[in-house]
Amino acid sequence: MKNTNASCFDFAGKWVMVTGASSGIGSAIAIELSRHGARLILSGRDEERLARTLRQLEHTGHQILAIDLRDHGGLFATISSLRERVGPLYGICHSAGVVETRPLSANSVNILQGILDVNLIAAFELTRAVCHRSVMDGGGGSVVFISSVYAHVGMPAQSAYSASKGAICAVVRALAVELARRRIRVNSISPGLVETDMAKKSFELLSREQIEQLRNAHPLGVGTPEDVARAAVFLLAPENRWITGIDLRVDGGLSAQ
Amino acid sequence: MTTQEILSWIADVFEAPREKIHVNSLRREIPGWDSLGMLSLMAGLDERFQICLTDKDIGTLQSVSDILGILRHNSVISED
Repeated sequence: MKNTNASCFDFAGKWVMVTGASSGIGSAIAIELSRHGARLILSGRDEERLARTLRQLEHTGHQILAIDLRDHGGLFATISSLRERVGPLYGICHSAGVVETRPLSANSVNILQGILDVNLIAAFELTRAVCHRSVMDGGGGSVVFISSVYAHVGMPAQSAYSASKGAICAVVRALAVELARRRIRVNSISPGLVETDMAKKSFELLSREQIEQLRNAHPLGVGTPEDVARAAVFLLAPENRWITGIDLRVDGGLSAQ
Repeated sequence: MTTQEILSWIADVFEAPREKIHVNSLRREIPGWDSLGMLSLMAGLDERFQICLTDKDIGTLQSVSDILGILRHNSVISED
């Protein structure tokens, strides 16, 4: 993606952590943020894949943080020690997520827990750590969660995933109000179908007809990771200091129908 | 617990640097001790020490020394 207007937002010197930064939407968000001068902490499980994203960032001095977001107990200490190394953080974009396509009858507590562990509980713990007074910049900051259009529209075999993403949208409103006193903004993005490796993999389970139906459900067609990345940069940007507690639907018109 | 351990705990509750919390620190000197900080304190006292603050306690807490007084009254502090 060619940058055409890098100067409209100024992240110069601001540290932003992006989870799920090794591929897809998370990687695109990190790359786009770097074009606006942000200093990135790329988080994911696979160091090698994170390094691939790192090589695509503009400017130098970014950091890689290989962590397993299911290890909730260790997240707070990890973020605290990160702050010791790099200084105060400005924000976080939680893009990491897991999805399981399962009808209700094939679901289980374990599957639900596995989804909630990453999509909701890790989001909570990361935000708790990043927004701690000893970690976040005293001037305020910005938190963005990548939710999903399935938080708003029903989709068969996505009940557990939808639950986790709907919860994120509710958390956003509560935290936005709670953290406003510290000038910390909290927002989310609900993307529709985006061309990522994860989406392509999920297509393997669908018939050609079902894939076509899914694509056709988006009036503007299927999105790209960069479509979501631009929205994330917009919400994270310090210039948008009066936007908090919203969910921005970036879904090619899917939920407008 | 010792007074020093309690002061560290109070620092954690209000997300304050440990060196900023002294026996004589006042509520207005601790940025994290706002109305939500008070909720964190109430939750912490309940979870950690099984102490439920009364309405009167909540209205009168204005310093670290006041918190220490409640903990002393409930035999949480083992020295001084």
